[in-house]
Amino acid sequence: MTPLERLWGSFPAFLMARRNVVRAKTRSALAVAVILIGVVAIGAIGAGGVAFQESQFETLGTIGADVQVFAGEDNENGYLTATDVGTIDRVSGTAEIVPLKQENADVIEDGSTAGSATLYGVDEPTELYEVDEGSIPANWRNGVLVGSTLADRYDLRPGSKVTLSRTTIEDGEAVRRTDEYRVKAVLAQAGQADIANPNEAFVLPTREFDDDVFAQVIVRADDATTANETAMAIKRTFNGRRQLVGVFERGDVAEQIDEAFRLINLFLVGIGAISLVVAGVSIANVMLMAAIERREEIGVLRAVGYEKVDIVRIMLAEATLLGAIGSLLGGAVTLAIVAVINDALLGAPFAYSAAALQYVVGGMVFGVVASLLAGIYPAWRAARERPVEALRG
Amino acid sequence: MTDSDDGPVADGAAPAPDGAGVAEAVPAAASGADAAGDAATPIISGRDVVKEYVTGGETVRALRGIDFRVDPGEFVAIVGPSGSGKSTLLNMLGLLDVPTSGVVELEGVDVETFDDTEQTRKRKDTIGFVFQSFHLIPTLTAVENVEVPRLLDRTPKRTREVATDLLERMGLGDRLGHYPEELSGGQKQRVAIARALVNEPRLLLADEPTGNLDRDTGDQILAEFDAITDEGVAVVTVTHDDYVAQFADRVVNLIDGTVREDAEAVTG
Ligand SMILES: Nc1ncnc2c1ncn2[C@@H]1O[C@H](COP(=O)(O)OP(=O)(O)OP(=O)(O)O)[C@@H](O)[C@H]1O
Ligand SMILES: [Mg+2]
Repeated sequence: MTPLERLWGSFPAFLMARRNVVRAKTRSALAVAVILIGVVAIGAIGAGGVAFQESQFETLGTIGADVQVFAGEDNENGYLTATDVGTIDRVSGTAEIVPLKQENADVIEDGSTAGSATLYGVDEPTELYEVDEGSIPANWRNGVLVGSTLADRYDLRPGSKVTLSRTTIEDGEAVRRTDEYRVKAVLAQAGQADIANPNEAFVLPTREFDDDVFAQVIVRADDATTANETAMAIKRTFNGRRQLVGVFERGDVAEQIDEAFRLINLFLVGIGAISLVVAGVSIANVMLMAAIERREEIGVLRAVGYEKVDIVRIMLAEATLLGAIGSLLGGAVTLAIVAVINDALLGAPFAYSAAALQYVVGGMVFGVVASLLAGIYPAWRAARERPVEALRG
Repeated sequence: MTDSDDGPVADGAAPAPDGAGVAEAVPAAASGADAAGDAATPIISGRDVVKEYVTGGETVRALRGIDFRVDPGEFVAIVGPSGSGKSTLLNMLGLLDVPTSGVVELEGVDVETFDDTEQTRKRKDTIGFVFQSFHLIPTLTAVENVEVPRLLDRTPKRTREVATDLLERMGLGDRLGHYPEELSGGQKQRVAIARALVNEPRLLLADEPTGNLDRDTGDQILAEFDAITDEGVAVVTVTHDDYVAQFADRVVNLIDGTVREDAEAVTG
């Protein structure tokens, strides 16, 4: 007796289940195939959806728990003042705030306008941006940071020079000023949803702008909840009857997008789950046929001392075995499919995320459970039969 | 149940058929008064056992109120024409079926008092079956088939030893790993007998156990039965074969659901 045989001997229900699975090869193969398809449907749809979501977020950029505050529709200035910024800072408590100035400028090349660009004014650019080339000086007082798209367009590198022309207000009068700046750094490509997206912009120190004019203030909250509280507090402070500031909670949007993706994914996985229900029905059918076919055999088992529960156990072991084989194969196939999806969407075949793996494992578990459940009725029918009747043939 | 026609069966002791060579043929039945012939509890006994089948509104009386008793170590042959109720009686002895009326007692306990689980347990512990058409499990090898009644005990090593030993005694030592479809009728029969013995039953029930065997193999089986009766196991076998009937300690002649204690056994 080999150790393997001995092992099987310790699980007699599985010994018989295994032999029975092998006996009706075609039928077992078909049952395994439907389970496999069901598991793949759930796993691939779920994990593929997750990969799709990730790829979307990659282009969108990170949407943190930020609050953006800007001038509201009833604000006569049309911008936020230094006093407003101070108030916002006070109301937001410990949260970091980034006041942002903004203007439009023309890029001058060889004395003529080559295009327009946004100018951002911030004091702490490292709060908002990542650097691709060059570096931002520790005490940044002059020089410009260039967004990646503009850097490509005007062929700007750290050290190159760029001439910008814009209209500023000086002593209540509009003045055209043209300045030449040295490029300190080229900023990394940012996502579409990033705050104060620098791709098509130049970033300058705030002293290059009007003192008292802020386009917006970004409040960096720790999480969506504090972001929400801060947003409420700011609205309460500024907005009475009149809408002096507008507040935009980015965390809200992130949640909504997340939720939308989740619902769509759930819906698709639900469709996948239907295929596993169908698979369960097919397992039930297979087991029912087996129960009828093996009526005599089961009668013998009952006659030689197998209890009803023993018969149920053997039949369930068989159903579960079919489900387990189907689920394992299905899991493997799913991983392969998800690798292809990952490769297409994320550019990395083995970038399985935890959420994606959850769908794969979930599909496999569902496959086994569905088979087990599907086996219950046939097993009970087989066990219920009186052995005398079964043995009469 | 026992109307005057069918009569209180088996009043007198049944003489063993010619040549049975067994001196003391215990009566197949004891009518109330002289029941205390033997002090030992019978392994199984029945009083006024009736079995009726209702099919399509029609009632078939397969057993018409018979009494029986089987003692430990006895070799009883049940003979009778086809349809006379032999298998029905054997099912009753094997706790596979309960009588429509009358009492069947296994080792002194009324089987009616057993629930399904207890019946199953008793079948496993005390009774071995050899079915009329073997009923081997096609997916299991010869030795695994013999092991079936013990598989759930999870003692694979010991079970394998017992099963191998039994098959060797049946002359199938070289067929352990063969599947039923690779065995001849007689070989299947012997596997079925080995399976019936694997749990060391106190009562062995066999429906036509030598039907497919040649004389030599049949003799081997009968010798085996003889050996186990010496160990106190009761053997009850249905047979159409005079040869087997002659081998038995006692012959019960079933005709049309009643026991006939004729000297001439009606076989075939
Ligand atoms: N489940 C059943 N339903 C209806 N009638 C039955 C049933 N089982 C047995 N019978 C009837 O009971 C009678 C006795 O049947 P049984 O199988 O005991 O005969 P037997 O003596 O074993 O015959 P054989 O020698 O052919 O095996 C027969 O008339 C049979 O038709
Ligand atoms: Mg019969």
